[in-house]
This record gives sequence, C-alpha cells and structure tokens, in this order.
Amino acid sequence: MELKRRGFLTIAGLTLLGLTAKPGWDIFSKVELPEPSPTPERLAKKKWGMAVDLKKCWSLEKCKDCIDACHRIHNVPDLGTLKEEIKWIWPVPFEKVFPEHELEYSGEDYHQKPVMVFCNQCDDPPCVKYCPTRATWKRKDGIVMMDFHRCIGCRYCMAGCPYGSRSFNWRDPRPFIKKVHLEFPTRTKGVVEKCNFCEERLNRNLLPACVEACKEKALSFGDLKDPGSDVRRALYHRTIYQRLPELGTKPKVYYIL
Amino acid sequence: MTDKREKILGEDTVLFEHIYKTGKGFYITVSILGGLVLLGLYAYITQYQEGLTVTGLSRQIFWGVYITNFVFFIGISHAGTFISAVLRVLKAEWRRPISRASELTTVFILMFGVGSVLIDLGRPDRMLYAIRYAHFRSPLLWDICSITTYLTVSSICLYLALIPDIALLRDLGEKREWFYRILSLGWTGTESQHRRLDKAITFMSILVIPVMITVHTVVSFVFAMTIQPLWHSAIFGPYFVVGAIFSGVASVIVVMAILRKAYHLENYIKPIHFNNIGIFLMAMTLLWFYFTFAEYITIVYGNEPIHMDIFWSKISGKFAPLFWLHFVLCFIIPLPILAIKKYRTIRGTVIASISIILGMWLERFVIIVPTLTRQRLPVEQAIYIPTWVEWSIFIGCISLFMLLYVLFTKIFPIVPVWEIREGREKAVSQVGERIRSYLPDDKG
Amino acid sequence: MYDGKKIIPGLLIFLGLVTYPFWHNGVSGKTGYVPKPKLPVDKKECVEPKDYIRVNHKDLLDDWKSSAIRKGRRTYVASNQKRYTMSLTRTCMQCHTDRAEFCDQCHKYAGVENKCWDCHMFPKEIKKE
Ligand code: SF4
Ligand code: SF4
Repeated sequence: MELKRRGFLTIAGLTLLGLTAKPGWDIFSKVELPEPSPTPERLAKKKWGMAVDLKKCWSLEKCKDCIDACHRIHNVPDLGTLKEEIKWIWPVPFEKVFPEHELEYSGEDYHQKPVMVFCNQCDDPPCVKYCPTRATWKRKDGIVMMDFHRCIGCRYCMAGCPYGSRSFNWRDPRPFIKKVHLEFPTRTKGVVEKCNFCEERLNRNLLPACVEACKEKALSFGDLKDPGSDVRRALYHRTIYQRLPELGTKPKVYYIL
Repeated sequence: MTDKREKILGEDTVLFEHIYKTGKGFYITVSILGGLVLLGLYAYITQYQEGLTVTGLSRQIFWGVYITNFVFFIGISHAGTFISAVLRVLKAEWRRPISRASELTTVFILMFGVGSVLIDLGRPDRMLYAIRYAHFRSPLLWDICSITTYLTVSSICLYLALIPDIALLRDLGEKREWFYRILSLGWTGTESQHRRLDKAITFMSILVIPVMITVHTVVSFVFAMTIQPLWHSAIFGPYFVVGAIFSGVASVIVVMAILRKAYHLENYIKPIHFNNIGIFLMAMTLLWFYFTFAEYITIVYGNEPIHMDIFWSKISGKFAPLFWLHFVLCFIIPLPILAIKKYRTIRGTVIASISIILGMWLERFVIIVPTLTRQRLPVEQAIYIPTWVEWSIFIGCISLFMLLYVLFTKIFPIVPVWEIREGREKAVSQVGERIRSYLPDDKG
Repeated sequence: MYDGKKIIPGLLIFLGLVTYPFWHNGVSGKTGYVPKPKLPVDKKECVEPKDYIRVNHKDLLDDWKSSAIRKGRRTYVASNQKRYTMSLTRTCMQCHTDRAEFCDQCHKYAGVENKCWDCHMFPKEIKKE
C-alpha cells in the first residue's frame, strides 16, 4: 500500500510541478500551518526530566490541582473503587515513597506528608523489557511511551515496574469519565496506561499539564542535558531524592527537600 | 467378527474394549463434563464482554488464578514426557503400559496452560500481536517459543507411538476404517519399519527432555526475571522444574488409577506400577522439600525488610492458612504414605497424589499472589478473592481436559498394545541379556 | 439418478437460501441504495483528493498512527505540499465531526467494523452524552 501511495504522490507531485507558484503563494498567504512538531532527530538530543519541590508542594494543603489537570486532559476515569483504580499521578505518604528515609528516631514531621508520585520515566525502564509486543518502549528523548493500539493487556509490565506506576483498565472506562477531553483518546478495556510526561503536549511546545497547573510552581520540567533548563536550575544545590535509586532504573523524576 | 478380533488382537482384546463398547457410564461422563465445559464457556463469554473486572483481580494483585493455572497446567504437562521419554531412555521396562496415558496428559494439559494465559489477556483479540510485534527481550516470548516447541515435539512423540496401534485398528476394519488407514501411514509392521520407528521415538525422546526442562525454566523466568521481592530468585528455574515433575507424576498416578478402574485394565496397570512410580514420587517429595527449604532459608537469613514482609505474610500473616495447607499437602501427607511400603498401595499412592496435586496448585498460588500484595511500595492493603468466573473457567478447563481425554480413548487404545507385545516378545529376553552383561563374565 | 426427487428440490431450496440477500434487497427495493456520507459544508478539501481518500483512508490513517506514535513524526506533507498534523482527533475529526453521518454511512453499508472509535471520540458524540 505504501508503494501505491508513493506512486500516486509522485504523479500528483509531478502534476503540481506546473504550479510551482502555488506553494510560494501559500507560504505568504494565511494558510493553516500545522502545529510546530519537533522532529524525532531534534527530540533525540533532549532528555526530559521533572523535579518536584516538596516544601513548595506542602505549602498548600489539600491542593490537588496537578492531579485534576492531568486526569482531566488525559481522560483518566474515576472508577470510585480501590480495586480498579486508574491513576497517572497521585499522593503517597513520604515514608512509603522513600522507605529508606524512614529512620526510627528522626524528629522530622514530614513523614506523613503527601508526595506526588507518577511514572518516573526511568532511563533504564524495567517495564519496557517485559512487554512482549513493545507496546511500551522508551523514546529517544527518554519518554517511556505507551501504545494503546498495541497493548495486549498481559500486565507483565505492571509486574516489571517496581513503582506501581501502571494501571490496568479492568472495564470499559468511558462511562466513568466525567467530561471527555476530545484531544486525547480514551482507552478501551484491557489495556495498561500510565503517565506519558504529556508527550502529546510537548510536541506542541507546551509544558506538561501538571507543571502548568501547579500554582506554587512546585513542579519544574525541562531538558536534563541543558544546564540552563528549569529542571536543572531547580535541582541546583539542593538535597534531591529519587525513588528507589538502588534498583538501577535511573528515574528521571527528582524530589527536592 | 469376534473371531477376527481374536485373531488380530490375541490376548489383548480388553485394551480395545473401550473403543468398541460404549456404556451408560460414557454418556453420563460426557454429559457432565460437557455441562461443566459450557459453564466455563459462559464464564469466559461474560469476562470477554465485561472485561477482567468480573474477576477478583485488582490494580494491586493483577495476576491470580489464571496465571496460577498457567504455571500449574504446564507443570503437570511434564509428567508425560518424564515418564515416557526419560523412562524409555533409561530402559525402565515397567513404563510400557502407562507411557501413552502420560504422553496424552502432556499434550492435552499443555493446551490449557497456553489457554490460561490467553484467558488472562486484557485484549485477547490482539493476542497475535505477541508474534507480529515479537519483542524477544521479554520472557513471555521465551515462553511462547519453548512451549510451542514442547507442544510440537510431544505431539509428535504421542503420534509416533500411536502408529502401530492405529494400524491394528485399521486391520480390524470395523468402525472408521478410512480414518485409521490415513493415520497409520501404511504401517505393516515389518522388521525395518519397527527399527525405524524405534529410532524415531528414541530420537524424539532424547530431544524432548531438554525441551521439557527449558519449558518450565522459562515459565519460572516470567517471575524470576522481575525484581519483585520473592520472585527474583535464581533458584526458581530448577525449583519450578522439580515442582512440575512432582505434580505431573502425581497426576499421572491419578489418571492411571481412573483408567484402570474405568476400562478394566487391572491386568495391565498393576500395583507394581503404582509402587514404582510411588518410590519415584517420594524422591520428588524430598527434592521439593529441599528446594523449598533452600529458597526460604536464603530469604530469612538475608533478612531484607522488603522480602521479610512477604515472607511473614506467608508464614504468619494473611496467607498463612494457604501456605501451611500447601506445605501439609505437598510434604506432610504424601511423605509417610509413599515412604512406608505398607501404604504404598494403589489407594495409598492415589491419596498421596491427590494431595500433591492440590498442594502444588496452592504452591503456585502462594508464590504468585503474596508478592503482589506488597510490592516495593506498599501502597494499599490489597485482598484477592477469586470470583465465580475464575473458578468456573478453572473447572471448565479441567473438564474440557477430561472430556478430550475420554474422547481420545473412544478412538485410540490408551495402553500401547504394540509396546506390550514388544515387551512380551522381545524385552523379556533382552532384559535377561542385559542383566547378564552386568555380571562378571562367565569364565567356564 | 438416485433420490432425484429429494436432491433437486433440496438443491433449489439451497440456492434459494444462498441467494436470499440478493432477492430480499431486490424485493424490498434496496438494490439502488447508495450510502451518502455527509461532507462538511464549510471545508473544501481533504488532506488528499477525494478519490484517493475514498480508497486509501485506511492505510493513510494506519501510516499516520505508526508515524505519530511510534516514530514521533507528526507532520504530513500532502501531495499538494500542504502540511497537516497527523492526528485523527485533531485533524480529521475537526471537519468530520459526526460519526453517524460520515463514517457509519459506508462502514455500516459495507459491514466493515473497526476499532478506532473505541478510543477516539467525535465531537458530536460527546454533545449527545
Ligand atoms: S516508573 Fe515504572 S512504568 Fe515508569 S518507566 Fe519506570 S518502570 Fe516503567
Ligand atoms: S500489558 Fe500491554 S504494555 Fe504491558 S507488557 Fe503487556 S502488552 Fe506490554
């Protein structure tokens, strides 16, 4: 089919050769240009990462703007049960996220405070190894992608992810989505989903929804390879944590205390 | 007609009886099993339409009965190969009457092992993507490769050993003669045919042994390759293989006992067979215990908190009843029965085997599920109670297995007639010869 | 011929049943039915000429899917050198807003099912909900 189309395109292109003036005219007239889309080659040079400033986050109690923003634009259903819960970003008490810091006599008061957790977009992602169909894979710019078209729902990636970042669609999620956000697909029953670092927004040069939504600017996002990026500046001279760094998954989400 | 049968079959007529005589028992069995299969089918259709929400699985415990079944069924499938191939290679003569029954168990139950994974998929309509977009870094792909190889090789083994018997049925020329004629591949029983068949079967037997070991090793790799606490263990390969042979041999004993009763094979499957397998099963019981012990002592001594959490949930936590039940069923009950000669009767070995089969299912369950309740991040307290759908599908699978088995025995003899004859005609003298060759040479 | 009395009527009944769809539609006057997908009124052109799209939209969408998701290339250069974003929801469905009046027209007629709509929703569908 590919070939056929190519053939067609060639012929069509040749026909259009006679109208070379047209594209030139198009450029200067008001045509609907597609959204700026960074090419894969340009993306390959980047390495997206995120930093969560916990103190800033804790300054607003009970705020869940980032969760709402993420779950709204990604059509994450609210099933209302723990059993079939689907979540991309959610709070977990500090002591559970960082069990290694749960020391017996520390007088700190933050051990019960919520920490926002989501897929770490690991640089060496275990989940990717296990997927039998490559429905989940790591893109050049480090984003661990999920292809809902391809996932067969074996849940092996869930067994592989040590962070519990993945959710499975136990039933058809559509009835549980309050208001469907048109620009992002909903999912069918039987596939796995997780945070995608707002990959669909990045290629329109937008920041991830959670970063944008946070009033306290507790979340910073950017290219980890660029010393001037937001995320790198946020990490500078701070005490930073990663989740379970000893597992060698190299998370690209940092927590700042 | 009876004369002709008499002539062709000689003293082994009883082995063909279950093909030609259809009693009331057959119809009753088939309809009960058929009903249960329909129940399982209904449960699966429900699941297909509603999604996996109809199971007891949850975000936290996302693998349960189906994956347990997968490991369990594939484990059972090791019996056939073990008994027919290994014993053939070792020239254990007592294997003759039971080799087909165990090979058949292998081939049939293996299909349900594969089926269990497919049932577990969220999108079964896309199952072929695993081949279309195969990703060979995934242990699931290793499973696909080794299980299909195993299924192929063991089906060929089964078929090869069937050919001479099919030819017998063809010569009888009663029911379905055309069918047997095609399948018998022109077997006439000449000396050279026998030689070639023997070569082929021996070759396949040797081939299937490493395949069998690979199969359960990679099944265990599905768990061992992850970094989840208590799954990530180097011992899992051999541990699972041992468990597989253990449960497989036990199920062959049960199958033998049922066949013996149902088809009046008392004269062929004798107490001595149960005794011999019983001794072997006892060795497996001890080996299984050894592996279990080695596995857990390593964990306890290492005392890593993340492992200990799960360890304690098995020893004294919410999985304790299941854990100890499986231990009793796999070790405490069978060991004395199998170890003491007085109890190693048919009834004794069957009781021990049933206990082992149940115990081994539970073993797979307590390996798979507790780990999932507390992964590295103990986020929620999770419970898992399988629903009727899962149980019905489980029962449906087992019933379909039995149904296939029963139907098979309607078409083919379950005791390899030619092997018995061969034993009678040749092996007796060969064994005498062999034993003589072990002894010091006669100087005189 | 043995059993001619049975065979011939049997054959006739069989033929009757097999051709049922044809004569049923003939009798009920549906033979002339042509699906009429409703085209968007305010837009003049699709990404490619109509004839090409009509035949190849499936492959085009399939290519878009793999190009956008798997390769990360999201700009489509059409045969007339216009550029489009490869996106079912953000490009196609911006003009074709109603599934029932557009896609379903032919898809129902031809009995072709697909799974795009399990996830990608039409603007019109949402309003109804
Ligand atoms: S956090 Fe889990 S899902 Fe995300 S990349 Fe790492 S292993 Fe994969
Ligand atoms: S559930 Fe989907 S994404 Fe996860 S391993 Fe299976 S096919 Fe891959």
